Amino acid sequence: MVDIALRHDASASPATARLRRYRAQDRMFFRLTLACALLVLAVFAGVITSLTVGAWPAIKAFGLPFLWTEAWNPVTEKFGALAPIYGTVVTSLIAMFFAVPIGIGIAIFLTELCPRPLRRPIGIAVELLAGIPSIIYGIWGLFIMVPFLQQIVMPGLIYAFSGIPVLRDLFAGPPYGIGIFTAGLILAVMTLPFISAITRDVFETVPPVLKEAAYGLGATTWEVQWNVVLPYARTGVVGGVMLALGRALGETMAVTFVIGNAHRISESLLAPGTTISASIANEFTEALGDLYAPALIELGLILFFVTVIVLAAARLMLYRLERRAGGRT
Amino acid sequence: MSQANTVKVSINNLSFFYGNLQALKNISLPLYLKKVTAFIGPSGCGKSTLLRVMNRIYELYPNQRAEGEVILDGENILARTLDVNTLRSKVGMVFQKPTPFPMTIFDNIAFGLKLYDKLPRSELQGRVEDALRRAALWDEVKDKLNASGTSLSGGQQQRLCIARSVAIKPELILLDEPCSALDPISTAKIEELISELSEDYTIVIVTHNMQQASRVSDHTAFMFLGELIEFGETEKIFTMPSNKRTEDYITGRFG
Repeated sequence: MVDIALRHDASASPATARLRRYRAQDRMFFRLTLACALLVLAVFAGVITSLTVGAWPAIKAFGLPFLWTEAWNPVTEKFGALAPIYGTVVTSLIAMFFAVPIGIGIAIFLTELCPRPLRRPIGIAVELLAGIPSIIYGIWGLFIMVPFLQQIVMPGLIYAFSGIPVLRDLFAGPPYGIGIFTAGLILAVMTLPFISAITRDVFETVPPVLKEAAYGLGATTWEVQWNVVLPYARTGVVGGVMLALGRALGETMAVTFVIGNAHRISESLLAPGTTISASIANEFTEALGDLYAPALIELGLILFFVTVIVLAAARLMLYRLERRAGGRT
Repeated sequence: MSQANTVKVSINNLSFFYGNLQALKNISLPLYLKKVTAFIGPSGCGKSTLLRVMNRIYELYPNQRAEGEVILDGENILARTLDVNTLRSKVGMVFQKPTPFPMTIFDNIAFGLKLYDKLPRSELQGRVEDALRRAALWDEVKDKLNASGTSLSGGQQQRLCIARSVAIKPELILLDEPCSALDPISTAKIEELISELSEDYTIVIVTHNMQQASRVSDHTAFMFLGELIEFGETEKIFTMPSNKRTEDYITGRFG
């Protein structure tokens, strides 16, 4: 009905002809943006497909046990992904263990406590950390941080924790300098700017009057930040941590420099290990044989899924947090 | 209103500066114990600023300073030596927009209590219930104390904020246009609440709404461009103001 009326009017007046042209433009615009969005899905599907196809010989040869086999022997062509998966997850956890509290601390300092003239310089300095190429972190890590850790920090840790049951095993010698722990520290430095910059931005969205209300009850800066600002901004903070975690899981170059590239799982965090991306980067050029390259590609596929699972878990956690704020104490 | 008034707060020669801009000029006035005092005046006259001096919340921002004296129970609250957190625990404040904290209704009230006392759970529950009852909110929220404070309606949120400031048993309650974001029914509830609270508390209310000032307050201060033009009993200010500008303002000739 409306269509008929419009068409009728269109022939009658130039104004409605213009309206029709606008409608056609709107439809075009809709299709254009839809195409952009679909392109992302296509790339996503393409990546999964090509990884799966490339990894297929390995998937067929090793099956599911690939996921929990530690062996990695190019000579006998026995491959298992457990050591790189372990290394990837543990280095990222170590990175978050250091980067999250420090990043949030920086954000609180910058939004609340820092004298105004210093805010911009410090904020920019932190953001610049994000711009340093990872190869630089790798070189710096290997030549500066590793000797320092090897000679001072690691012997100290080993000595300090020698009497404490679980920690004694996590920090057991010898101090190589390179290893899982060192890679975690490098990742912490690399992810710090993401966490602090995003956290600072969300802290700045907290309405001043909300903070005034809390201060007005006599709360200290710490109490206001911990009880009011952080809960108010938690969605954004978790988002920043997620982004940082995504970066830590996939980071290749700097980790490859300092992790030691050993395909084994050691009880000690100070021992050398490997991550998925470090294995791929290190070994792809020499991956000869029918199963070596496919096994590396399968590692890539696993990394893809680990990242997806971590992001999904973070979303779930966020959802729980939201519910709990409204649900129970 | 004829009974003897005890001075709870005495503001003497108070001036306030935002950087170089003087926002308050030599204000002197008393606030009486268990009375409601309204600050009225056109926008920018300094009434909210005056309120913000009384719990020193202005100190959160750089380049803001106050000169003069504000004596609360014999103590100058502007003195450097006074602990600002202790002061704020004695002065409750409610803002224009409701400011529920991002936590449960129960925790919103308990937050202020926990800052000062380590109360046993049972006593904490008692204090929370008491505060919510005083703010006439208990019946509406008693079954959902664990729901988020932000899930309440605007009027309920504002009463939650009043309950929060009442919970810490303050010496003085500051209300900064508490009804300006609320509908008429919520406004009526809050006004009723103010009258009830004035039996126990000394209250200051900043308002743009002159009917509201005349309904809820015992004393009224009319301010204009940072100066106190007239202060007196509300009845007198609204029926026979002694200053021409006060008369013009309350009759709606300007402002």
